Amino acid sequence: MSTHTETTLVPGLRARRARSGRIRGGAAPYIFIAPFYVLYGLFMIVPVVAAIVLSLTEWVGLGAPDFIGIQNYVDLAHDTSFGGALANSAVYTAIAVLIVVPVSLLVAQALNARNLRLRDMFRVAYFVPMVLSPIVIALIYSLIFDRDYGLLNSSLQALFGLPHIDWLGDPTIAKGAIGFVLMWRTVGYLTIFFLAALQNVPGELYEAAALDGAGPVRSFFTVTLPSIRPVTAFVIVTSFISAAQLFDEPYLLTKGGPGEATLSVAMFIYRAAFERQQFGYAAAAGVVLFAIVFIISQGLNRLLGIGRES
Amino acid sequence: MIPLSSPPPGMSRRSVLRLLALSGGTALVAPALAGCAPASTTPIRSGAVDLSFWTHDDGYIAFFRKAVPLAEKNSSFRYRLHITKAGASDIVTKLIAQAVAGTGTPDVVGLEIGNFARMLRGDIAPELLSDLTKAVAPVADDLITARLTPFSKDGKLYALDSDTPLTVLYYRSDEYDRLGLPTDFGTWEEFGRVGADLATREGVALGAVATSDPGGTVQNFQIHLLQRGGDLFDADGKDTLQTPEAEDALAFLATSVQSGALATVADMYGPSIQSGLKSGKILGVNMPSWYASYGIKPNVPEQKGKWRITPLPRFAQGGGRTAVGGGTGFAALRNKPATAAGMHLITTAYLDPAQQVARYKAMGYLPTRRSVFDSAELAALEDEYFGGQRLFETYREIVDDVPDVHQSANSSIMNTVLAGHILRAYKGQVSAAQALADATADFRGQAKR
Repeated sequence: MSTHTETTLVPGLRARRARSGRIRGGAAPYIFIAPFYVLYGLFMIVPVVAAIVLSLTEWVGLGAPDFIGIQNYVDLAHDTSFGGALANSAVYTAIAVLIVVPVSLLVAQALNARNLRLRDMFRVAYFVPMVLSPIVIALIYSLIFDRDYGLLNSSLQALFGLPHIDWLGDPTIAKGAIGFVLMWRTVGYLTIFFLAALQNVPGELYEAAALDGAGPVRSFFTVTLPSIRPVTAFVIVTSFISAAQLFDEPYLLTKGGPGEATLSVAMFIYRAAFERQQFGYAAAAGVVLFAIVFIISQGLNRLLGIGRES
Repeated sequence: MIPLSSPPPGMSRRSVLRLLALSGGTALVAPALAGCAPASTTPIRSGAVDLSFWTHDDGYIAFFRKAVPLAEKNSSFRYRLHITKAGASDIVTKLIAQAVAGTGTPDVVGLEIGNFARMLRGDIAPELLSDLTKAVAPVADDLITARLTPFSKDGKLYALDSDTPLTVLYYRSDEYDRLGLPTDFGTWEEFGRVGADLATREGVALGAVATSDPGGTVQNFQIHLLQRGGDLFDADGKDTLQTPEAEDALAFLATSVQSGALATVADMYGPSIQSGLKSGKILGVNMPSWYASYGIKPNVPEQKGKWRITPLPRFAQGGGRTAVGGGTGFAALRNKPATAAGMHLITTAYLDPAQQVARYKAMGYLPTRRSVFDSAELAALEDEYFGGQRLFETYREIVDDVPDVHQSANSSIMNTVLAGHILRAYKGQVSAAQALADATADFRGQAKR
């Protein structure tokens, strides 16, 4: 036998309960996460939209902007200075991804070695450049790289009798010098990520590989690299994004020189906005940089399978 | 017993929390809202004035504070200075940002000459700054025009310069004596010839030029160009690079760099030049008068007594015996309650002859009024760092050769574009004429926007 109870509610009360139920059951989670989205909208979406709108104007920073359509983008396409900055940034990202990341992994691998003495000291030593002020780094390296009175040239001359090299004054070598400083500053930071990943690789895998006759190199490629793939992918994408927005090193070491040989896109944007009062043009360059970084990082995400089940 | 923290009867705990949150929020938001309230725009004609004063240099803070009594004596204003110190480029950026916000602009602002060029873009200078032309009219004939043109636009003066930064040759007198060098080379060409020989024989340079800092690279070229009788821009702001004067100046520099007569350094202030000066491998520099305080003395204090100054050699092809480089102009913001008070403080502090003498004694900045160069007090001053030399004897000798210098809204473009081509000429990759032609083409390509 079943019992059936029917409750009859007056229409007004039913509607109120339904509303209350919607708020308590449906809206509450949204309300809790709303602060994030409000802040995200205010400080991310609004500036991005504002930059896109500004990129369609000519504005000196004061008064009303003049709407000029896509003229800024047309000018950018013909601006050899912007083309050079894009090429320079491509070099910096290539250095970051193809040199800095592998070096970081090798340093982490070395620090992860068994029976390594003074492991903590090495770890701190590699990490210190990351917490140093870029100003201090620039000062140190301007002393090291100076052509006539620098430590590096003096050492090379004393040891090998080499002629003085214009580390910061030669257009090609200066890019390499900036890439080296970038590596010096970021290797320690990236090493921390790799070290954490390496320490989570199960030792049994190495034992199994050793039983199968794998040497250290074979173990590295067949055990280590596949095991730390998610962290490697993360490090590659974040290194790419950081290098694409590189500003400190070229600005402080060479001011983008000699000429515009080390000018990065971020410096180009800064220069247009805050040295030339061309805010619309700077915004257009910023939008182009954003689009390039977004598209390539999405491509890297897919290529490296970030966020997918392995 | 009722706990002290209990809400009063009739109020729930939730109500109390709401009340607290509301009052806390109000306390936080109130100052911000107050800041948004429109400030009074009624001009202050007399009495107490709270003057917001922005500068990038501690020396100006001390100088203007000392000038306040004189400004008060000559007016019915009673000044209270509110100082803000920031980087030279940050000052212009913040000034424009505050102007866009419609609040928080200073009443008086010091604008470094290179950054003032940003104010020439569009209508920024006329929109923000007071026209000082009438204020300086009573002494206009005595003001050195070279210091008015860089801060002028369309015939209106927007800032009063702090200095007439004459370029001179700084040299190591002890090393000159040891090496048997003359203190008067006559011409730059002779200077270059002696320098090349010295570089080969002794491994030392008679001068130095900056190569890593684009602004410094261009400044080294510009001071030679001005001395030769040319300039980067004409009075209308048009580029004037392809001239015989520019070619002569760059050809001299390129030849001297290649021969070793001039050393190359990263910039004229940092560790690179310091190393050269300390090691005695750089025996001199051609730089403006303020370089004594900002370059020589701080970098090599231990060489006190060994340095001297002398007028520059001439270019054989023509030109004067000096040029100018750098400078900082002080401007009063327009349409503010304290605009008149700001203008009065600037003109009093900067145009009064006694103040110009005081400014030189305190900060080493040369007068901007020609008549003050004849001051007996200045002429008698001896500088211990320069071995007791009476520097003003040199300055007075060359001041009438000071050339006009013009700026453009595109000065920044010129600096970045020209620097690269100057370096190409230094390296012998192109001739001076070709470098200047390429620089002109690149500049016009970027400046057409």
